[in-house]
Formats: sequence, C-alpha cells, structure tokens
Amino acid sequence: MDLGISALNYVNGIKNNEFTVEEFISESLEHINQVDKKLHAFLRINDFAIKNAREIDTKIKSNQNVGKCYGMPVSIKDNICIEGSKTTCASKVLENFISPYTSTVISKLNSEDAIIIGKTNLDEFAMGLSTEFSAYGPSRNPWNTDYVPGGSSGGSGVSVSANECIASLGSDTGGSIRNPASFCSVVGLKPTYGLVSRYGLVSYANSIEQIGPMAKTVEDSAFLLNIISGIDSNDNTTVDNKNQDYLTDIDAGINGKKIGIVTEMTNPDGLSTDVLDTTNDAIKTFEKLGANCEQVSLEMVRYAVAAYYTITSTEAGSNLARYDNIRYGYEFDSSGFEFNSYISQARSKFGPEVIRRMILGGFVPSAGHAGKYFSKALKVKSKLTAEIKHVFEKFDYLISPTVPIQPFKFGEKINDPVSLMMVDFNTVTANLTGIPAISVPYKITNGLPIGIQIMANHEEEHSLLQAAYALEKTVDLPEVPI
Amino acid sequence: MVSEEEISEVAKLMKINLEDHSDHVKRVQKMLEYFDILDNANIESEEIIVQETDLGKLRDDKYIPYDKNLLKFLKSYQEKYVKAPKLN
Amino acid sequence: MTKIGLEIHCQLTKLESKLFCSCKADYRGFEPNTNICPVCMGIPGSLPLLNKSAVEKATLIAMALDCKTPNRIAFFRKNYFYPDLPKNFQITQLNAYGNTSIGWEGKISVENKEIKIRRIQLEEDPGRLIYEGATEKTELTLVDYNRAGTPLVEIVTEPDFETPHQVREFLNILSDLLENLNVSDPGLEGAMRADANVSIEGGSKVEIKNIGSFHDLEKAVHFEITRQQSLAERKIEIIQETRHWDDGRKITVSARTKEEEAEYRYHLEADIPWVRIDDNTKNQLQLHMPESISSKKERYVSKYGITSQVADILSSDRYFSELFEKANNETNAKDIANMITTDIMGLLDTREKREMSKLEGDHISDLVEYIKSNKITRASAKLALDEVIKNGKPLSQIIEDLDLGHVSDEATLSDIITEVLNEEAKAVEDAKQNPDIVNFLVGKVMQKTRGKADPELTLVLLKKNLGVK
Repeated sequence: MDLGISALNYVNGIKNNEFTVEEFISESLEHINQVDKKLHAFLRINDFAIKNAREIDTKIKSNQNVGKCYGMPVSIKDNICIEGSKTTCASKVLENFISPYTSTVISKLNSEDAIIIGKTNLDEFAMGLSTEFSAYGPSRNPWNTDYVPGGSSGGSGVSVSANECIASLGSDTGGSIRNPASFCSVVGLKPTYGLVSRYGLVSYANSIEQIGPMAKTVEDSAFLLNIISGIDSNDNTTVDNKNQDYLTDIDAGINGKKIGIVTEMTNPDGLSTDVLDTTNDAIKTFEKLGANCEQVSLEMVRYAVAAYYTITSTEAGSNLARYDNIRYGYEFDSSGFEFNSYISQARSKFGPEVIRRMILGGFVPSAGHAGKYFSKALKVKSKLTAEIKHVFEKFDYLISPTVPIQPFKFGEKINDPVSLMMVDFNTVTANLTGIPAISVPYKITNGLPIGIQIMANHEEEHSLLQAAYALEKTVDLPEVPI
Repeated sequence: MVSEEEISEVAKLMKINLEDHSDHVKRVQKMLEYFDILDNANIESEEIIVQETDLGKLRDDKYIPYDKNLLKFLKSYQEKYVKAPKLN
Repeated sequence: MTKIGLEIHCQLTKLESKLFCSCKADYRGFEPNTNICPVCMGIPGSLPLLNKSAVEKATLIAMALDCKTPNRIAFFRKNYFYPDLPKNFQITQLNAYGNTSIGWEGKISVENKEIKIRRIQLEEDPGRLIYEGATEKTELTLVDYNRAGTPLVEIVTEPDFETPHQVREFLNILSDLLENLNVSDPGLEGAMRADANVSIEGGSKVEIKNIGSFHDLEKAVHFEITRQQSLAERKIEIIQETRHWDDGRKITVSARTKEEEAEYRYHLEADIPWVRIDDNTKNQLQLHMPESISSKKERYVSKYGITSQVADILSSDRYFSELFEKANNETNAKDIANMITTDIMGLLDTREKREMSKLEGDHISDLVEYIKSNKITRASAKLALDEVIKNGKPLSQIIEDLDLGHVSDEATLSDIITEVLNEEAKAVEDAKQNPDIVNFLVGKVMQKTRGKADPELTLVLLKKNLGVK
C-alpha cells in the first residue's frame, strides 16, 4: 500500500475499494511506529484511531453518509485543542493539561470523518523555527535527520513529508507553517487572517496567527481549506469564506497574471546562493507559464522582522500569563508558598526560548519603552499593510523564496538570536499584513528541500492556489529517502 | 544598554524566577539593538490599521449555561472552590 | 480647596450574559464555580465573544451622562497577576489610539454644580477571593470564578467634588439614573462599587480603595478629609498613596505600596475587532433611551400638576414611575401619584416584594375611581391593596370576596347605629355635652362594619339620632 498518496487519491482509493480505512490506518500506525522513533514528529498517537477507522468502514459498507475525508489520517499540531485529550504545546508547563472542549477546526474535520492520527511536535508554544525548542526533544528532517525540519509546526511538516499521515494542520504566526513546509518539501498554506477559526488554538501572538493546512499537494491544501475555513461564532475575528470551493478551476493557470518579485526578500542578509538560484529558476518557470514577472520593492519589509518580534513578544507576554499553574498545568504542590513566589517558581518551568520572549515581552510594552518599540512596531505593521494593498492594485501575486536558507543542522543557529530571527525574514510580512501565503516545494538541492513562497491579496486564496498549482505541476521531485 | 537590574525587574514583573541573568542580558541586548532599526522606518505619522466589525455582528445577549462541570477539569480545588496559594 | 474624584464600577446586572461569554451576568445565587465556562476561565484556546447588548447599554449610560461617544470602540489588555483573574489580564478599555472607550468628556449636575465625567469604559469583573478564616494571612486562598467576566462599566469623574455630601448626592443621582436606564440594579450587593481620590489644598492626592458601599464611601471620604486636614494642621506632609477603607474600624489605612504592580503593559486586545458604532445606531439608541429622571419630574409637575415633592419621589424610581405611567389617564394622575407614594411604596419597599407583587396599573386606577365614587372607603382600599398585591385578581372581585363594599344604604346603617347607641349608653350621654364624642361613635360604627360604612352618611345619621348639630 502506498502511504504517500495524496488526500484526493486516498478518497478515490476508498471509494474504489482499493483498501479499507482500517487497512490504511493500521498501516500508517505501523509506519509511524517504525520511523517516528527517529523522526519524532509525534508527541502522542490517538489510541482510538483503529476504532474510529472501523466505525467509518461500517458507515461506508452500510451506505450511510460519509464525510469528505473518508477516514484519512490527519495529524494535528499540539497547540490545537481536542476535548478530553492532552494539549501540551510542547511545554512542561502544560504537561497535564486536558482540554475540556474541542477546537472549531477539529470539529469540522470530525464532521467530515477525518481521523486524527496524533498530535505533532512543535517549538514550545510555537516559539521557534526548528522544533529545537520543544520541551520533549526536537523532530528530525526526513530528508536528512542531521538537519532541523523547520518550525514551529515541524512535527506536522515531518509527519506529512515522511508519509506518517495524509495531511496535517499547523499554525503560522511568522512562518510556522511555511518554514517547515519548505524545509520538509510539503505544501504549506497560511490563510488570510480570520479565514480559519482560531477557537481552540492556544494563542501565541493572536493578532497575526492562523491555523492552516500542510499537505502533499496544492489540491490537498485546497481540499482541507474547503473544510476548515469560514465564519465561526466562537471567533469574533473570522471572515466569511463565501462558500468558495477552492478546488474549482484550480488548474486555470496563470497566463497573463502579473507577479511581483519582492526585491527585499530576494536579497536579504544571509540568503544562500542555492536558494537564490532556485528562486531565479522559479521566476523563469512562472514566465514560461505566461505570467509577467517584475521586481517590486516594499520599503517596510526591512523593518518587518523587528516589528514582528516586538508584537509577538508583547502578545506572548500577555497570552502566556495565564499559565500560573493554579487552574491547570502540571503537578507542583503549592503548600507553603505565597502566591507570587509560587507562580514565579511554577512559571520557571517554561523553556529557555519562551522565557527569553517573556522577558522581551515584559520589556518592549512597558511604560518606559512602549513608545520606543511597540507603537513603532504597530505603525510599521500598518504601513506595510498599506504598501501591500497598494502593490496588489497592480500585481496578482508576490513571490519570494519561502526561507532565505536551506535546513540547517541542529544547534547551528540556536545561540545566535539575531541570525535566528533573520530566518523569518520572508515569511513575517504575510502575518503582519494578514494576507494569504503558500510555500510550494520546488527543488531538492544538496539533498535538502527548497520551497517558493507565493502571496496574494486578502481572501484571494482561490487565485493563490491556482498559481501554486501551476508551479507545482512543473516540478518533479524525488521521493523522500526514508 | 540593558542592565541586569532591568532584566531582574522585568523577570519579577513577568513572574519568572531567573537563575542566571547574564545570558538574558546579552540576548535581550542583541535583540533590542536590532529593534532599533525601527527608528529609521519614518512611520511617526502613520495611522494604525486595525480589524473592524459591526455592532450588529456581535454575540446576542443570551444566557446559555455551560453544560459541563468545568471545576472537575481544573487541577486543584477544595470542595467548590479553586485553590490558590495564600496572598501576603 | 478640597478636591474629590470618583471611579465608579457598575455591573450591568440587567444583562442576561457575561461580557465575553454566555454564562449568566448576574452570578448571584449560584453555587461556587458553577457559572463558569472555558472563556471566562481563560482555558487555553478560548476566545472572548463580545456581548452586543453590553456595548449598547454602556453606550446608553455614556449618552445619559452627556458623554461624547466614539465611532469605533476598542478593547485593551491590562496585564497583572492575581488569583481572581483567570487570564492574568483584564480586558478593559483605554484611549490610547484616539478616543475608543465607550464615552468621554461627559457631565452631570449635582446640587447645581457641574461634575465632569472624564471617561466611561466597559470591562470585565474579576472572580472573588474567599479567604479561609477571617484574615488574608491564612495558608490558602479559595477562589470563586462565578463573577469573572460580569460586565462592568467604569465611570471616572474629574476631581470636581468638594464635599462628601456632594459625593453622596451624586451617587444617589447616578444610581437612580442607572436604574432608570434599566441597565443595572444598584440595590444588589456589590453591583456598584467605588474608589475615591481625595486631596486638600496643598496636599498630594490619596486614593481610597476597597469601599464596599456608597454609604461607606461618603464616610470614607469624610474620614480622609479630616485625616488630611489634621496632618496639615500639624504640618505633617500628606504623601501620595493608596489607602484601603477598613470596614470594621471605619477608617482608612495605608495599603502597602506595590509600585512595580503599576506596570500594566496595556496593549490592544486583538481577539476583539474594533466595533463600529455608526450614527444610525447611535440615533436608534438615543431614540429608545428612557426619558431622563429630571425631564420626567418636570413633566409630572407641569402636565399633571403633581407637587414637586411627590414628582421627585415618583420620577426617581423606575418601578413606581412605570406603575404610575400605566395607571394614570391624566385626569386621575394626582390621585394615582398620591396613592403610589403614600400607600403603595410602603407595601412594596423591597425588591423581593416588588418581584412577587401582582399589582397592575389598572388596579390602581380602579381603586382611585372606587374611592372617588364612594364605592369603597380609604380604610377598605388598604385592605384591597394588600389582597391585589398577593393575588392580582380584578378589584371588583376582591371587593366582593372580602366584602369590602361600602355600606351606604341608610336602612342598614341605621340598624347598626342603633346597635352602637345601645351598647355605648355612657358615650351617648356624654355626646350631648361634648360633640367631639360623636367621632368616637363614628369609629365604633366603622369597627362594626370593618371600615365599610360611608363615614359622611354615618355622621349625619348619628347626629340626627343624638339630636346634636
């Protein structure tokens, strides 16, 4: 059985009786059992997966209504809540947290008969881009296990790339879906801010983050977006998906479309020549597909990373304040403690990167520094948004390399905060401005993947997916070496 | 420049016991230095852009009792109350 | 000159649900921690869902206090750690990027003095701490989160008050106003709380917190002024500080200073988009705004000729003024107003009694009509009121059931009078010398008829019988 098939082919396979849900799920579990000791994509496996598979098989056999997913195994980043099971955010602080409710995206997947195969690894509270900051140990890149898989949705990227599941849901605050998608050679989509409900996503920087699909193909991404997008009465920030079918006319092509090559993103500090060459190659491909490509400069992109870290650390400082270990958390007896000393001790269980961002998050919005950093960051965000709005009057898409570099080795960047920040350089703009962006696998160089990022205007996912599909159809990448 | 005192004040504010301040001093210092490029952005007169909604789209005022015993999900409680450490 | 400013927190108890979730706004009467959900408990991944009516009702308050109101409102997070705060931040409002709080720059007249309103904001109430034992120095803090997320409106005044009496007067006017707007029941325990800041000539500003009731607020302000004046007389510096009101000893005591706590790291709450409130919406709200107490009072006086004193009492109470509006048909307004203020208010003097009461406007207008046309005596009217409040039956039915109908039939009355005269031989004798004794005999007749006898006819018949004038 080919566990590496796309979601659409999986559905066809079930419909054509090529395999049962139970067969596919048990083979997937066996595969996970074999490879995940090394890859560590998963923090936990769903004990009820086989039971769920049997239930869906029964529905199929008895000709009952079956949801669009037909029992396909989907993995979920462990910062998305499912009732009655653990959601740890890869933190010791939430080691014993069991959610009393289910997130909207999971409810939607459940009602379409997806099987949640397990919860995937991430950088603690999604702060990071390599999974090296997971409190439970890093995930490894299936293309070369000496290298990081990207992050923070690294476990999700690995699980899809290594065929441990059909698709995954990650979350993207500054590139956390697109970065591991690029590093693991899968498709990763960060939707328009508000297109997918955040109800049940543990907040890190709530003003800019989104849940999105990570999948083997652009079509699968559209398939999943169809399921998870739309207004949610549990999230005041959601926008209407207007019942769009993102799969319709996905093969329409991009002939005559105008593409802006973001100048600042194709020559940032530390851009690797391999990535630059690959990007130039992709530009030629876009032109061959009939698009007009030209350089476009976005002045505010230079300041985007600084604004991004200012805003995210401020919001994180507030969003993570609730982890005082009083109402939920981990075992740590409070007797003999005074309130402040107890919670300060309890909160010291945060990992080093979270603590660093907490400190930064205490610093930048404080009365003395708010004008210096935070309000400037908000203004950069606003001006960048205005710039983006302006360029999309002329262009249909903006493109860049997803990440300026290829996957790096474990420990290589962890000690240099600024060079680590620069890895986010190309992805944070979509978060700060709320526009959709996708990373499409484009090349394997030095045995490691490179992805191309395409961005479109607000709520233009349909058009964005058409461009991504057109690009994807031009590439033929090798199989993942596992 | 960021001082150890400042870091320790902020750690206190954020309720985190820090064992070693020096590493944080260096890290925060580096990041703040990088943030200083915001000074060059020339954005002082910029209006902030925010997400908006209409009053009519907000939740209707209706009492819907929560259908689970949430207290049971919580970690530490005494009879009907949530237990917290004493206040000084 | 003494300057006093107030920060009043008023729960919107007339709302059904909390500010950001569907739990009950009025948490009173729940078992501890049973009026909670993932949102008000700040369970990871939950999101605040702003209550539309809370925005509307808060806006009504702003309008009633002559505030400017914004085209967009925004929410902010006020960050601090405390066990009663499930998220360790409070969602509140701030005017950091233009004026985005519910209202600002309002005013209200108190004893002919204009008190300026600085700002009105909408925010969530925290939970409640229950200390094991009596003091804060126990081994444990117990928390009840039922109150967490209850909608609160904070009203901040300029330091325009000069005397504790003005403060008291303002609070009376404000609680009448909030009741009249049907946004809050100020009588509920904890529904209205206030902090005050007090400074005397040449002294620093002192904040007084933790004042449990409006009654104590006046006392606390009074105490604080006296304390500061006595310091000033002894040339002791008045330091800027926060003091707590000690409810037991009725004094203010210095709160240990926690200066670092003042760093709240305010920033925008992105989970709630800025809410547009367009002119059309504002006009609609204005249109449905209840008539103000002062305009109501004026109308009662000018239109119905009700005395200013009665109009004052009637207009400032939402329940009784509504009853009045329902009962009166202009011609009987004066009598209705009198009946409400002299008889009914005493019978329905608590919230519980009002809630239980079956009394309707029609009952009152009927009763006034019956008295006027001599179908019932004033004394019987009181008995009838008691009964109406209990069971709400039509007045005619009650009069029949209780046999309260007027005895104005001359023959019946004559028989009763004869009985009384036989029984009271001594009084009859005395009456011939002292005409005032007749009134005693009228009373006896009333007793026998349980108040139903027509008093005028009784007097006439008695005098005729006794042969006095």
